[in-house]
Amino acid sequence: MDVKVVLQAEPVAGAAKAAAPIAADKMGDSEPKPVAGGAAIVGVRQLCKSFGPIAALKDVSLDIGAGEIRGICGENGAGKSTLVKILTGVYRPDQGAVVVDGVAVSVATPRQAQELGIAIVAQELSLCPDLSVEDNIWLGSLKVPFLHKQPQLRKRAADALALLGASHIALDVPVASLSMGERQLVEIARLLTRDARVLILDEPTATLTDVEIERIFAALLAVKREGRSVLYITHRLAEVYTICDSVSVLRNGELVATRPLNGLDRTALIELMLGRPSGEMYPEEARARGAPALVVDGLSLPGIVDDFTMTARRGEIVCIAGQVGSGAAEIITALAGLVHDASGRVAVNGRQLKLGSPARAARRGIMFVSGDRAAEGVFRRLSVLQNLVATRLREHSLFGFLRGGALRAAASQLAKRVGIDRRRLRARADELSGGNQQKLAFGRCIERQANGVLLMNEPTRGIDVGARAEIYRLMRSFCEEGYALLMASSDLEEIVGVGDVVITLYRGRQVGHYRRGEVTMHRIVADITHPADAAR
Amino acid sequence: MSDQALSAPWRLPLPHSTGGRVLVAIRLAAVLALVGAAATTPGFFTTVSLFSLLNTMSFIGCVAVGMTFITLSGNIMSFALSVTLSTSGIIFIAALPLGLAGAMIAALAFGAALTGVQGAVIGYFRANPIIVSMAALALITGGATLITQGHGVYPQGNATAPLQGRVFGVPMPLFAFIVTVIAAQIVLSFTRFGRQLYMVGSNWRAALAAGLEPARIVLGAYIAAGLCTALAGILMAGRYSSGDMELGIGYDYHAISAVLVGGTAISGGEGSAIRSLIGAFIIAVCQVLLLLHGFSTQVQYLAIGIIVLVVIMLQTLADEA
Repeated sequence: MDVKVVLQAEPVAGAAKAAAPIAADKMGDSEPKPVAGGAAIVGVRQLCKSFGPIAALKDVSLDIGAGEIRGICGENGAGKSTLVKILTGVYRPDQGAVVVDGVAVSVATPRQAQELGIAIVAQELSLCPDLSVEDNIWLGSLKVPFLHKQPQLRKRAADALALLGASHIALDVPVASLSMGERQLVEIARLLTRDARVLILDEPTATLTDVEIERIFAALLAVKREGRSVLYITHRLAEVYTICDSVSVLRNGELVATRPLNGLDRTALIELMLGRPSGEMYPEEARARGAPALVVDGLSLPGIVDDFTMTARRGEIVCIAGQVGSGAAEIITALAGLVHDASGRVAVNGRQLKLGSPARAARRGIMFVSGDRAAEGVFRRLSVLQNLVATRLREHSLFGFLRGGALRAAASQLAKRVGIDRRRLRARADELSGGNQQKLAFGRCIERQANGVLLMNEPTRGIDVGARAEIYRLMRSFCEEGYALLMASSDLEEIVGVGDVVITLYRGRQVGHYRRGEVTMHRIVADITHPADAAR
Repeated sequence: MSDQALSAPWRLPLPHSTGGRVLVAIRLAAVLALVGAAATTPGFFTTVSLFSLLNTMSFIGCVAVGMTFITLSGNIMSFALSVTLSTSGIIFIAALPLGLAGAMIAALAFGAALTGVQGAVIGYFRANPIIVSMAALALITGGATLITQGHGVYPQGNATAPLQGRVFGVPMPLFAFIVTVIAAQIVLSFTRFGRQLYMVGSNWRAALAAGLEPARIVLGAYIAAGLCTALAGILMAGRYSSGDMELGIGYDYHAISAVLVGGTAISGGEGSAIRSLIGAFIIAVCQVLLLLHGFSTQVQYLAIGIIVLVVIMLQTLADEA
């Protein structure tokens, strides 16, 4: 199959139209050079963008070469998404310009960006679940004539998928029947058929399993071999090292450095992102372990988890490691009472607990911090104060009437405990950063007698490197007060870093059980991907 | 109450964003336009039209305060409040032989039961609130028409006279409305139920995950809505000395208009009873103005329809700002 010819990026028609006749040499002498790959395809020059008094981007210039995969790293709020939105025509820069093939162009709308060959693989995929793969690939394309079931279009769609190593995806099945990873491949194929020259991926792997991540990476390498470029935005440093040729680090809206990844070690990269030495990311191991706080015996979730058994002692952090879909997250939500058809024996501090009701679980000291903060973590429209005291209204009310003073005092104390500035008590919860919102969720779980169980799903999802260390310290300090902490995570580094006990899970079955120090990332990967099993 | 964070509904709207400030400006301009229209309308500032204004506001307002509980709980609105009003009014008149207090209690209990059932279905089965309310509208209308055969009920003698009188010189409907607003606002701002209502309306999943019992809270919100609506039914039946299915026609619509014009968020979790009072006042002023200018009821509907559309569009803008 002559994939190459069919998919060769055609000369971009829109580029000429939108191009303003500004010669590249007038753009100043701070001309950045692509650090890898061929001649620069897309770049930005002296880009500035402010929102009110806050400068989101300050004088950012960079260039991405043909066939280069460039990582973009930085903490939350560093300016990554502003940069992406300018490149894709969502925002217009206050100063500076986007440069395509050495010519400054105006990218005023997302459509113009597409015409210039700049395409983003949306985080919330923009596919129609009920339409077929082929229809999705061509949906909205200008090349499609009125009667669109043409063999030629079908072949191009098939070729695009084949190029990405995804020929196993049938063109006629509805997208709804595909996994998240396959949908992402379809989305990329769709952009390729539109002659995208630069693909932007923003945290593409957050919802994917490791096998699917491998597939996406293979697809990106194929894209790169085509001479197209990729802009890869992620919090996961391991992925930067796996897939990227070079990395640009943003901090507080400024471009700190653009470096090839050869010879840049991980500590140095983190220090670039933080602007200071990284210090110790993970807390010490548990000092003292107490009595069993949570004993789970034979927990089953039909079709998801089979016969899960474990014990969490006071003072311990127990990690359940598994890929998305392995059942790790579901075990946590089931123990929190949020799953209806869970069965099995669960004892909290020696007393049996009937699953299925979060309110009942909460009364017995089981607190749940969701991995999905926006959907089930914080009350975004309510104040920080109201969020902090959300679960303790009963103890601060008299005959159903709230005691304002007592609530304020309680909130203020909780804020101090989890490290939220007390002046922000009146701010709306959605004005806080992801890290601070997570602290809010923590604060809510603090009880007066610290003998409860804290359940967490993906405790640091979407939280930047700086705030992560704080969250881990907070988790450890909870344990030292007498809590048992049980968490599910798909971030292996995190699991090895914080887990006193690590339980590995593969397709709903327990694989291994390790103590801290016995476990390595390789061991976990082997367990949760179970190659012997997956091969069949 | 010194602490604004605790009593958010009382806080003056001081938006941080440009979009928010534009919104406040638009609201101010609308209110000024309304005042201007009132000032230049002959006959607006007369006792008769002011009284009719206050009565209209009180009836709409009671239902609007009830609707506020539903909207705050994240369940948008109920189409069944109009028939709840009518049937509660009928029950009130029919039960008058029990004495005034007895009849009122019967009507209030009836109204609370009607909406309570809907609240239970919506809370415990997570049924779509709009569909449930439309089903309830059909059921209640059908049932009530079957029983009353479409006839109205009328009191013996002047048993409803106390409801047509005044308290401290204030007409009864207005007095009852003010008391309702104050009571509702106290419940919303200072009780555990009120606080939990904001949480459930703001984020049902988060409330569930935090160990609250959102279904119970939603049930409570619907019962509160039923009580407020039944009160409006009692007041109207008392004022017109009759109870029939026509009493409540259009009131669910006026009420949701008042709630939205007052600035309570249609998506739940943000708003107050005081805001609905302001909304009811504005809707009532519009109605009286249109009436004085000789426009028909159809035009009134048209005007209020436009107002609601604009308000909803502005709310969307504000959410994005």
